[in-house]
Amino acid sequence: MSSKQTNAGEPQYEVMWPLSPKATKPAAAASRIPDLNGKIVCELWDVIFRGELIYPLVREYIKARFPKSKFVEYTEFGNVYGPRERDVVAGLAAELRKRGCEAVIVGIGA
Amino acid sequence: MLRAAALVEKLGIPTASIVATGFLKQADLLIKGLGVPLAVGEYPGHPMVDSEDELKRKVEEILAPGLLKALTVTAPGLDAGDAEPAQGDIVFSGTFDQVQDYFYGKLWTDGLPVVPPTKSRVDAFLEFTDRNPDDVLGVLPPEGRAATLHSIAVNGVMAGCQPEYMPILIAAVEAMCDPDFRIEDAGSTPGWEPLVIVNGPIIKELDFNYGQGVMRVGRRANTSIGRFMRMFLRNICGYRIPPGAGDKGSIGQTFLVALAEDEDSARRLGWPTYAEDRGFVPGENVVTVQSVVVITPPTYSAGARAEDHAAQWAQVMGHSFTYWSHTGFKQGRWNAVIVVSPNIANVIAREWSKDDVRRYLHTHIKVTAERAAYYAGMTATPTFNLQQLVRDGVLPPEYAESDDPQRLINVIIKPEMIGILVAGDPDRNQSRGYMANQRQGPPTSRRVALPKRWKQLLKRGI
Repeated sequence: MSSKQTNAGEPQYEVMWPLSPKATKPAAAASRIPDLNGKIVCELWDVIFRGELIYPLVREYIKARFPKSKFVEYTEFGNVYGPRERDVVAGLAAELRKRGCEAVIVGIGA
Repeated sequence: MLRAAALVEKLGIPTASIVATGFLKQADLLIKGLGVPLAVGEYPGHPMVDSEDELKRKVEEILAPGLLKALTVTAPGLDAGDAEPAQGDIVFSGTFDQVQDYFYGKLWTDGLPVVPPTKSRVDAFLEFTDRNPDDVLGVLPPEGRAATLHSIAVNGVMAGCQPEYMPILIAAVEAMCDPDFRIEDAGSTPGWEPLVIVNGPIIKELDFNYGQGVMRVGRRANTSIGRFMRMFLRNICGYRIPPGAGDKGSIGQTFLVALAEDEDSARRLGWPTYAEDRGFVPGENVVTVQSVVVITPPTYSAGARAEDHAAQWAQVMGHSFTYWSHTGFKQGRWNAVIVVSPNIANVIAREWSKDDVRRYLHTHIKVTAERAAYYAGMTATPTFNLQQLVRDGVLPPEYAESDDPQRLINVIIKPEMIGILVAGDPDRNQSRGYMANQRQGPPTSRRVALPKRWKQLLKRGI
């Protein structure tokens, strides 16, 4: 029987919503930085998907446009998705502050 | 990756995240679930299949400009979306077929017809727990929804479970909510599937199959509980294949029916059950959930000595484990469970304990260092380096004993990574291995909490 046809007297079902409420609190994004000159850009990497090639190219691109920007490379922070992920992430705030990070590039989702 | 970005944004530091094209929709879903409007730069296509020249061009022309914009230009906030119903709300009324069409259109089914989740059916499930339906077991990515007991009951109904399965469903979801289980990785590209393993008297009370055809559909408890797991991952986590977005399993696999142990056979052999191996006492009802990314061939073995069978496992199952073990090397862990038929277990148990089997497999399944690095490079990690993993304390020192790329290393990092469970056809000499996806979905166990009126309810229900 097609789902569009109905028989007289066929039972009707009142059905519940099968999902559940969202439980995360929204947060605002940080303010952007229109001029990266003099700013410290930090890199976080999950050590996959050819970041060893991609990050230097991104660095070069940004430095060409903002010559006074500075970079703290991903090697300083540890693998944000590796076996020590929980420790790395737990210590991230302190590490970013220690290095004066003002903007962060995170990758790689693929 | 985006979770780290959200954390950084909450510190007041702007981020730009690198996301490949095929992952933009998943990223969007996760960003909404995290509740933070994250800015991304797109890598067109996928970096693992581009030449260096092509990669350089894509970074310079698309990715880097996108990242720069993400750091310097304020992007719109999150779209709040339409208001959602509340838990327990009736969202539709119609015939059986109309319900199917409505739910399918909303991406709320697994593509098969579902049992309509009416209030009376859901209430029947909730009778099988002494806990409050609003109790939250965890907040689950990517959509950031609460795993409530009510949501378990609704999805249990839809999957065709019986109300008395509810204690098992709760234990299974509790296991998946354990941070060590990493449910946040259940939408990853390998497309792993959770396997529910059941131990205890509840196997017989609920009529699980643990004999011939144990991993086939056909027995209601095994089948519907397996189906529930995928339904729950779709509806509460949000792991949906297209036209959904959260599930990035590249090819994926379908749900696995729940696996119950042949505990009578295990006891006759003098072997501890799988749950006892995991620290539980005989007679406890236990659910263990483990991811499965690789299923070995049906492995036949013959002979009257323990080593006849273990050697065949090392050869056949070892071959299946070997390819994907590099992902475990990077994390320092991976697991597998071997399902062994009672008559093979009987031969082995005459000579060896389960630990003897584990030690044998640990020392007899090998791969060259070069081959492991090659597989890692093919998958995602051209920088794979065993020496570095040892220096970082991720792998034991034996993995860096020399620089010879032809040196043989153990595929199984530690013997205890291998679980052994007796089930399947008692009259055939077959075994099979189920490998977890590196650190994602390691075996995670929970006691099954039965309601105080379990016996009464069971008598009424079955």
